[in-house]
Amino acid sequence: MSNMNPVVRWFHQLGSPPYFDRFAARWAPWAFGLGLATMAVGAYLALFVVPADYQQGDSFRILYIHVPAAWMSMAMFALMALYGAIALVWRIKLCEILAMACAPIGAAFTVITLATGSIWGKPMWGTWWDWDPRLTSQLVLLFLYFGVIGLYSAIEDRRAAARAASLLAIVGVVMLPIIRYSVVWWNSLHQGQTIRVFGESSMDASMLPPLIWMVVGTKLWAIGSLLARARADNLQREAGKDWVRRAAGVPQ
Amino acid sequence: MSYAGYVTAAYAVFAAVLLWDFVAPRIRIAQVLRAVRLLARRDTTRAQSDAQELKR
Repeated sequence: MSNMNPVVRWFHQLGSPPYFDRFAARWAPWAFGLGLATMAVGAYLALFVVPADYQQGDSFRILYIHVPAAWMSMAMFALMALYGAIALVWRIKLCEILAMACAPIGAAFTVITLATGSIWGKPMWGTWWDWDPRLTSQLVLLFLYFGVIGLYSAIEDRRAAARAASLLAIVGVVMLPIIRYSVVWWNSLHQGQTIRVFGESSMDASMLPPLIWMVVGTKLWAIGSLLARARADNLQREAGKDWVRRAAGVPQ
Repeated sequence: MSYAGYVTAAYAVFAAVLLWDFVAPRIRIAQVLRAVRLLARRDTTRAQSDAQELKR
């Protein structure tokens, strides 16, 4: 262990439940705090600095929470499937915990995506909801998240539950390209791709900064939430161990 | 601001969901640690009463 690369050694240490608990307890508040501060800057720019859209008026300001939430809803699913695959192949307990912690966070961002899209749709499309390919596939993603959460809760053995739910997460990854390309493959009411990481965006550069702040902020927030939720699950799984009793302040 | 009600509602939903996301794991951690403390107290009380029974 002493000759091991420091990064590899750190990963090994992180797999230890007490070490992870200390790590998560230390860094989750920082990630939450930085995420909140970054999103506060983004929201201020989005609501008070960037000019109104010439067609949509001020309703376009909803985009600054809708788009980052939509990206996070897909990113969390991909991360959940990745952790799930690692957990299935290498049987790493921490990866099971992290995979399952991704589900409620991703579901929360999916709810935000659907709700804010619906609120934007009412004045712009004249309806709260439409069975459009993008909207419908995003709704299916929410049901998949509920499926993962439900399956994890339904099986008593925590490790077997995590493995079963991980398998569902891996299968569910098929939804991600469907959501991504739904506006290309089908005749969709939802607008096409506006912002491109590679290539030119059709959004004016003056409108981009708040979006970048919000994208970074939601990512930092998700890291905080992932650590906090994984810590809670880790503590619950290890509740009978001495280190948890010490963490709870039980005199030894 | 045009569409102020829609914009406010959207940002309120965003804030409410993130607030839940922040609070939910904290409540769960507090519940787990409380359960551990209660279990430890019960074990201690049981051990003490067993010891007293043996003394009689």
